[in-house]
Amino acid sequence: MKTQHHINLSLVALPLIALCAAPAHAEGVSAGSLIENTATATYDDGDGPRSVDSNTVVLAVDELLDVTITSLDPGPIGVVPGSTVLTFELTNTGNGPEAFELTANPAVGGNDFDTTVDDIAVDTNGNGVYDPGVDTILTGPATSPVLAEDENITVFVITTVPAGVADGDQSDVELTAEAVTGTGTPGTTFAGQGVNGVDAIVGLTGADDTALGSLIAGITTVDLTKAASVVDPFGGTSVVPGSTVTFTITANVSGSGSVDDLVITDAIPTDTTYVPGTLTLDSGALTDASGDDAGEASATDISVDLGTVSGGASHAVTFDVTID
Amino acid sequence: MKFFMKSMIAALAFTGLAVPAAAQEASPMSLSSDVKLVKIETNEAGVSERTLVAPNVIVPGDRLIFGTDYANSGAEPITGFVVTNPVHEKVRLASDADPELSVSVDGGKSWGKLAALTVKSEDGSDRAAAHADVTHVRWVLASVQPGESGRLEYPVIIR
Repeated sequence: MKTQHHINLSLVALPLIALCAAPAHAEGVSAGSLIENTATATYDDGDGPRSVDSNTVVLAVDELLDVTITSLDPGPIGVVPGSTVLTFELTNTGNGPEAFELTANPAVGGNDFDTTVDDIAVDTNGNGVYDPGVDTILTGPATSPVLAEDENITVFVITTVPAGVADGDQSDVELTAEAVTGTGTPGTTFAGQGVNGVDAIVGLTGADDTALGSLIAGITTVDLTKAASVVDPFGGTSVVPGSTVTFTITANVSGSGSVDDLVITDAIPTDTTYVPGTLTLDSGALTDASGDDAGEASATDISVDLGTVSGGASHAVTFDVTID
Repeated sequence: MKFFMKSMIAALAFTGLAVPAAAQEASPMSLSSDVKLVKIETNEAGVSERTLVAPNVIVPGDRLIFGTDYANSGAEPITGFVVTNPVHEKVRLASDADPELSVSVDGGKSWGKLAALTVKSEDGSDRAAAHADVTHVRWVLASVQPGESGRLEYPVIIR
C-alpha cells in the first residue's frame, strides 16, 4: 500500500514539474499559504437582480520536504597528504523553511584510499572559499542553519589525506543531506510538523540527497642527475690542470602534480674555478648576476630558480669550471 | 451558545452586505462550495485511476477540483444565473479544464473561451492566453427552475 502511494504522487507531480518551468518562483506555493475559493452567483428572480455568495473553502498548503546537494568542485581535486577541502551546494527545494543534517562518508566503494573527515562547515561569509576561523563549523550532528524555500548555501567538507598515497590514487567523499523533520518514501507524512502546524510531506527527492566529491593524489617527485664532461688543453679528455669540466645538472619532475619554487644550486668544487658567463638553462645563456634572470653564479656556487614545474617536465642546467 | 449567537449575527451582517437590494428575504438560490483532491492511483492491472478524496494533505503540484452545488429552493424560476469564481493566485487552472468554459484573464473585466483570449507579454505584444493566466471562471445558465439543482466544477493545480 505504501508503494502504491509512492507511485501516485510521482504521477501527479511529474507533469507539474514540466508545466511549471516558466514561472519565476521555482518550487511552488509556500508551505502554510492559504488557498481560498468562493463562488458568487448573480441572477434575476423576477423582482430584479440578486446576488449570493457560496461558503468559502479554505485550504492550507502543506510543507513539502525536498533537498538537493551537488558538488561545486569542477572535477577531482589534486591533493597531497594533509588537509584538503571539498565544496558542495545545499539547496532547500521544498516549499518551507527546513534545516538539514549533513553526513560525510569518506569510505566510498572503489576508493584507492580513504580520507579522514575532520569537519563540515558552512560558508558563513559567502565567499565560496573555506576560511578557517570564519566559516562556522557544524558540530555533531552537523546540521545546517534553517534554509528558506529555494535558499542554498555552500558547504565545505574538510578532510585529511593520509600519508603514503600513491600518485594518481583516487578517493571519493560522499555528502548526504537529510531533512531534519524527516525523510522517507515520497508521500510520507509528518502530521503537524510543517511550518505553522501544517503537515510536512516527503517530496520526490525523499527529503534527502547525496553528492560525491572527488580527490586525486598528485604526488610529484624531483630527480636530479649530475654529469660531467672534460676537455683537456690538448683536445683530449684527461683531467689535468687547465682542463675544462662542463657539469650538466638535469632535473626530472615526475608525477601528476607540480612542484613550486624549485631551485637548483651547486657548489663550485674545490680546486676548480668557475668560468664566468658559462651558466645555461636548457641551452639558453644566463648571466652571472643575480636578479636579472633565473640564474646567478659566483666563485663559490651557482643557483637557478625554475619556479613552478609540472610533472613530466625536464630542465638542464650547465656550467663550466677549469681545474686549477 | 454565545459563540453560536455571534456566528448568527456575523452571518446576517454578511448577507446584508452582499445583497443590499434584497436583504429583506432569503435568497431562493443557494450555493455550496467544496474542494476535493484528485489522486491518481495505479490499480493492479496497471491502469491509472482517478479518485477524489478529502484534501487532508496538499502540496504544490497537487490537483484540486473546486466545486459549487447550486439549487433553486424558491417557488419561481430564476433567470440570468451567472456563477463567477475567482481563481486563487496560488493555483492555476488545470490544462484539462473544459475548453468551452468561460474564463477571464483580466480580473473579470472581459470574458471568453481561453483559446480566444490574449494577454500582454513582457515586451508589450499580445500572446495567446494560457491556463496559468486565468483569473476568473464563470458559468452562465439561462434559467434555473424551482427545485432544480446542479453542480459546477473546475480543476486547478497548486502552483
